[in-house]
Amino acid sequence: MTAYLLNLATLATIFGILAASLNVLIGYAGIFSVAHAVFFGVGAYAGAQVALNLVPDVLLASLAGGLLSGLLSLCLALPALRVRGEYFVAASLGLQMLAVTVFSEAHSLTGGHGGLVGIPPASLLGIDVSSPWRFLAVCVGALTLSLVSIAILMRGGFGRGLMAIRDSESAAEALGKNVPALKTIAVAIGCSLAGVAGTLFAFQLAFINVESFTLEQSVLLMAMVIIGGAGTLLGPLVGTLLLLLLPAVLSFIPFIPATEIGTVQQLVYGLAMTLLMIFRPAGLAAPSTGRR
Amino acid sequence: MPGSLLSVRGLSKEFGGVKAIQSVDMDLVEGVVTALVGPNGAGKTTLFNLICGHISPDAGEVQLAGRPIRGERPHTIARLGIARSFQDLRLFGRMSVRDNVLSALEPTAWLWQPGGRRAARARLHKTEAALERTGLSALAGARAVDLSYAETKFLSLARILVTEARIWLLDEPASGLDPVSRARFVALLKEAVAAGVTVCLIEHNLDIVTELADRIAFLDRGRKLAEGEPAAILRDPELIGIYFGEPRR
Repeated sequence: MTAYLLNLATLATIFGILAASLNVLIGYAGIFSVAHAVFFGVGAYAGAQVALNLVPDVLLASLAGGLLSGLLSLCLALPALRVRGEYFVAASLGLQMLAVTVFSEAHSLTGGHGGLVGIPPASLLGIDVSSPWRFLAVCVGALTLSLVSIAILMRGGFGRGLMAIRDSESAAEALGKNVPALKTIAVAIGCSLAGVAGTLFAFQLAFINVESFTLEQSVLLMAMVIIGGAGTLLGPLVGTLLLLLLPAVLSFIPFIPATEIGTVQQLVYGLAMTLLMIFRPAGLAAPSTGRR
Repeated sequence: MPGSLLSVRGLSKEFGGVKAIQSVDMDLVEGVVTALVGPNGAGKTTLFNLICGHISPDAGEVQLAGRPIRGERPHTIARLGIARSFQDLRLFGRMSVRDNVLSALEPTAWLWQPGGRRAARARLHKTEAALERTGLSALAGARAVDLSYAETKFLSLARILVTEARIWLLDEPASGLDPVSRARFVALLKEAVAAGVTVCLIEHNLDIVTELADRIAFLDRGRKLAEGEPAAILRDPELIGIYFGEPRR
């Protein structure tokens, strides 16, 4: 039971980083990407390759995963600079589909559909951190660092620049904001953090394959951010806890047959989303009232 | 033209066969208030968009103090000292009133603004001063989306005022204001002009035009039909006929 809860807590922490990273794009910069699982995957594969072929150091692997995801985020930044709104959603959808094909076919890098197995236990600067408690501590540290970094950036001029673009791109330009540069940096930061989350995910599961980086995952991440409260610091965490823990909670309810949990989960998700959009459209953690 | 700060020559723009702006020449002279007047669809806002780089002209030139700025990106033009407002205001709705104004002083895209804490304090000081002048200090922490109509108009003006731009292009800045707010707005604009700001405003309220403008450029169907002193333009029966929608010959 403890092992199960520790695993759940570690996954919630990793997905917390992932949702917080997507919040930089959706919540602060207004870039509605449905391709975030791609950068989660790139980070996971890169981190896993470092662990398998070099050294299973979680810091080094996370740096590699974050850097590669940040670099490849230019694939997302380029359409973000040219198109907006629903056109960008369509462009990111294309990128997501393309990436899943690459993940499935690039056997030498990703292991194809079979994935990468036997990812060695994590260490941190020579210290073994593979035990569930220690790895949870590493993940909590990474989450804290991510949230503090995001909070500092978003409270400053950079964050105001992103939010200005989100609220009115043309007005932001008219006030001297370099919109292409701001968007590119926002995408790079968000995707780098997603890459770090991917690396931690690879260490936690010791096995990764394309199934974790599909469009469904991207949509789930988007739901986490929107349900929790896009553009708020803690909203994505609230959304993550709700959506990740719901299946676990349902499995403990005695009168729901194990075979029906998936169906009940979908019903609860659907109902929760509908009620939320009616009563708290800005998300659970967002301030609800205005001055008038 | 002598003293011209912004010069527009032969500016043209077509949208899918519709000639929105046709060979327009115009000069904004330093410290002079120019009003762009004309019926809806005359091309006034398009002219602003062309000057500010939001859309690219098909032909023509725009020069700021002798420097060609056609083809420059909007943020570059803004940094050169041309500030503009929008007819639909385009405030940063979910940001606070203070952040709306402060944001106008933070053009760099880097993660940190240059100049450290001293520069940050100076920016905040300028922001508070702009809010004070526009009567928004008490609402500094409110979200822009929660402001009343008149307050949003003054916030739009505060964002421009704080930039210390040399040229202000204002798109219907006083439309819908009550008489008291309108008087405050006119006083603020006169203060800015007295301080050396060059203003070009699009305005349908001819009382405000008469009160503020030193010159009027009259546009219709993308063409500049006339330019001159308000008294002369507003007495021209043909122009007034066009403006009030009388059948054209």
